[in-house]
Amino acid sequence: MPSVSDAVSAATQAAPQAATQQAAQAVSAATQATAPAATDAVSSASHAAAAAGGPLAAVYYFIMVPMVYLAILALVVGVVWRIVVILRSPAQPYSLTLYPAARFGVFAAFRDAFGMRQVRQHKPFFWVFLVIFHVAFILLILAHIDIIPATRMLPAASKHMLGAGSVGVALTVSLGYFILRRFRSPVREISTPGDYLLLLLLLFLFLLGDMISWSNSWGAHGFVMTKKDFALYFDGLARFTFADPRAVLHGSHYHFVVLHVLFANVFFILLPFTKIVHTFFTIPINLLRRK
Amino acid sequence: MDAATSTKLKQLFETKLNGAMRLYLDTCARCGVCVEACHVYASMPQLRYSAVGRAEVVRKVFKRYFKLQGKIAPWLGEVLPMDDQTMAAVSDAAWSCTGCRRCMVWCPFGIDTQMIMSIAKLLLIGADKEPKLLTMLSDMSIAKGEGAEETKASFDQAVMNLAPEIESLWPASPDRPTISVGAMGANVMYVALAGKHSIVPAAAIMNAAGEKWTLSRFEAVNFAAFLGDPKKMQLIARRIHDEAIRLQAKEVVIVECGTAYRVMKYMTGYHPFKVSAFVELIARYVREGRIHLDRSRLPGKVTYHDPCQIARNGGVIEEPRFVISHLTDNFVELQPNRENNWCCGGGGGLVAMGEKEFRMASGRVKADQMKASGAQVICTACENCHTQLTDLNEHYSLGMKVEFLSHLVANALVKP
Repeated sequence: MPSVSDAVSAATQAAPQAATQQAAQAVSAATQATAPAATDAVSSASHAAAAAGGPLAAVYYFIMVPMVYLAILALVVGVVWRIVVILRSPAQPYSLTLYPAARFGVFAAFRDAFGMRQVRQHKPFFWVFLVIFHVAFILLILAHIDIIPATRMLPAASKHMLGAGSVGVALTVSLGYFILRRFRSPVREISTPGDYLLLLLLLFLFLLGDMISWSNSWGAHGFVMTKKDFALYFDGLARFTFADPRAVLHGSHYHFVVLHVLFANVFFILLPFTKIVHTFFTIPINLLRRK
Repeated sequence: MDAATSTKLKQLFETKLNGAMRLYLDTCARCGVCVEACHVYASMPQLRYSAVGRAEVVRKVFKRYFKLQGKIAPWLGEVLPMDDQTMAAVSDAAWSCTGCRRCMVWCPFGIDTQMIMSIAKLLLIGADKEPKLLTMLSDMSIAKGEGAEETKASFDQAVMNLAPEIESLWPASPDRPTISVGAMGANVMYVALAGKHSIVPAAAIMNAAGEKWTLSRFEAVNFAAFLGDPKKMQLIARRIHDEAIRLQAKEVVIVECGTAYRVMKYMTGYHPFKVSAFVELIARYVREGRIHLDRSRLPGKVTYHDPCQIARNGGVIEEPRFVISHLTDNFVELQPNRENNWCCGGGGGLVAMGEKEFRMASGRVKADQMKASGAQVICTACENCHTQLTDLNEHYSLGMKVEFLSHLVANALVKP
């Protein structure tokens, strides 16, 4: 079990002095034990490391478990709230249709939303990146669902994220274009600080994700934590065990995973209150001109 | 600006926040696709003259007073407070926009800048900074409606005096009067403008078709729609609505005026009568063989300008082309055309307000488009467009003839 022993070794290095002895005992147990027992031993080593981590460990635990639930709750409540506010506002008293009117307004609104033909006609280069970005974003969501053992799509033995890193390439490259575009006139002049910050948040989020998925798929030694390790973390989240992920995610690279999750949480929380809310509003807003 | 005014403006803003408006204010991604859609920006490339540039002024006020983001992190969205400086920017945005909604065709979300500018215009009214000429014209329209009984006799007489001119285009009929005002039970109640050019050719066409029609005592133009005062807009439209019901008219046909048509057809609720643009009526007459047109009377290459409020915002797009196909064999489209046509630059009240310097500068792209068509005649079906195209023709020395479509039709009527 080379990966187990590697991980144990990493966990041992990560453990501060106070926990070294306890961790070392666990390591010893792990090296002598059979596979299931070894996992238990690793887990206890990680626990020891986390317990000894001081305030930072508590913060990490908060980000990795409770905050994930809170962020998703904020996303759902926020979006529902936004929709309720709009539904409770007075109705538009007259038609806002643009002509020639579409024969099937709902169909046309979906086509506007998913095909973005206005952009295709007027900014074809931008359109290409927009399509890549949005398709990749959907794949990204699927790729994370794929990590959860209960909803796995790829073979269980696969070390790859869905797309084997290509989803991350697509997202990062198209995001890079959006950032460059925002620095160029005339988009530069209409941009607000919030526009840049949002892109920056996504850039950090994507780069951290890329680091994990690219090295797992294509790095000579993989990432410190494998897809199977993340599966254990996701499984814990999905089953509301509230277990410390440190038990299954070992190594000092844990910081990067925590940062990745933190940025994802912030993204979820911001979604309903920023322009990303277009995820939910694009179809109703397009219906206004099509029906 | 004092606190009372600021509070009042916030309340006025709130009256505009319906579901559609909230979607428009919340969804913009500032992608910039709309920037080049605006004829003002295309003619004078400054971002305050783009759809997003204008909308952002209103959006920043919205964020400041109605969004959590504006309260806890105002620096993120660059919010604007309700003060004199902001109101100057609001005025600049509102009165450089003709409400043509070309940007709405460009926008991936379909954000309606005209709607957002309706907030700007309402705030300006609340701050007593609106164009006073439009207020005066709106109030005059309403007053005319209230005093219609007193001026009825002189109005009717003035209209009757037009009979000889109408008869020069189409001979008098023994069956019906050349012109009638306020007659009961007409098939068509025609709503004209204050000017015989909007009555004489139309009357000849309807007489040629043997239509049972009557003239409304009110003018079609709705200055309050330009002004952005929703209550006055309804009052002005209401005069025509009530008159049509009183006269039991089956159909109200609006003179060649884009805003009047859109207001009456789409923006003033349900009417128990049909509302049509005059060009739709002409197309119907041609299709039904009720009038016949002579293709040989219109020399030179002819093009057509789609008025924004009739075509893109009103849905009357193919009817004028059908009519023109009976006027000439030498028709050429403007590029771009139909819903993508450039706004003439005269709408939204700019022609009524004068503003010639701005109109000529912002209409440069329109003048270029007219010139590129190579046409000798440009016709249209909107009073504002006609005025603006005439001014552009002169200002840019294009040497074209600018015509109303109805005039071309009246002059091409094949007499019995």
